Amino acid sequence: MEETLEVKNDLLNDLGLPSTESYKTLNILEDGNSRYIKDLRINLKNALKSNNLSDEEINLLGIALSSNVKNRSLTHYFTSTAKELGTTEDKIAEAVACASLLSSNNVLYRFRHFVGKDEYKKQPARIKMNIMMKLVVGKEFFELLSLAISAVNGCEMCVNAHEDSLIKMGTSEARIFDSIRLASVINSADRIFWN
Amino acid sequence: MSKILGLGNEFPQFEKTAVVSLEKGKEFSTITSESFKNDEDKWTVMFWWPKDFTFVCPTEIAEFNNKYEEFRDRDTTLIGASTDSEFVHAAWRRDHDDLRGLKFPMLADTSKSLADELGILEENEKVAYRATFIIDPQGIIRWVSAYDLNVGRSVDEVIRVLDALQTDELCPCNWEKGEDTIAA
Repeated sequence: MEETLEVKNDLLNDLGLPSTESYKTLNILEDGNSRYIKDLRINLKNALKSNNLSDEEINLLGIALSSNVKNRSLTHYFTSTAKELGTTEDKIAEAVACASLLSSNNVLYRFRHFVGKDEYKKQPARIKMNIMMKLVVGKEFFELLSLAISAVNGCEMCVNAHEDSLIKMGTSEARIFDSIRLASVINSADRIFWN
Repeated sequence: MSKILGLGNEFPQFEKTAVVSLEKGKEFSTITSESFKNDEDKWTVMFWWPKDFTFVCPTEIAEFNNKYEEFRDRDTTLIGASTDSEFVHAAWRRDHDDLRGLKFPMLADTSKSLADELGILEENEKVAYRATFIIDPQGIIRWVSAYDLNVGRSVDEVIRVLDALQTDELCPCNWEKGEDTIAA
């Protein structure tokens, strides 16, 4: 029990969250003396270091992914870490914009894919994507952000399209999978850090 | 020539004194190999250094201590060891800034019997090589690394290997047809 509390506090500390902060599901894990707190801490630590992504990229992915699921604590953590690393505000804004834009695209294209009728493919999408014309984070990284968000939001067509376009740009599968691992772990953390 | 006890071998049985604290009356405790084999899925990492009061050692030991929580999170018991006596260990801990707050026990293999059985005793000086052992919950040695006396080691590498050895992907979504089911 004592050790579980110790790990819980270390986990909060890793994410720059005060130990006084009360998270409903985290408290349930603590009360049940769950070993999962250790697993979650290891998963986060491992996903947040990568040989294929820079620290800035990791935090920008974190901003996009945590804002995609509207997680206040995690968005705050990744935004402040990015700023400490010297990441500019326009890049941070682009990560947030990407999460929002892709959330609309994921619904629209998933619908087209689900139904599979030509009629819906003919009709224009009418969704503005002008931010993609001039990107501060670069085309490849924006594509990587789009892929990670699409994987979380579960749009098969979008996942296939972004993965394919990344491979054609020369992105390694190791780099792609590191961002997907990060997406999956942030998604699991989102289930724990909310109140 | 020393022959280091290797992969698949059972870790030798032992009972030794270790320094666990600097608090008066609570300095020493007995450590046995019995807990290595357990039903709680506890792993053990035992790392050795040649001599107390030398220069390379405290840096390395402090690094293990800095990463102590990483071992805890992996349900792994961390033990440091050398052939110095428990009194030398205690004196060194008291003497060195980086060692006072150690969170893991310093085992005293004063008779050198364990280092000898492990095959890590250097021939001329009769001190232990910088050896690291990862022992699984069945008491079996799963990984060994040994360096010459003056080479420091990477704690991150030990953690990486531990992660690789401990099972992940227990999830059935990863099973492929024809594979044995996972006995967890």
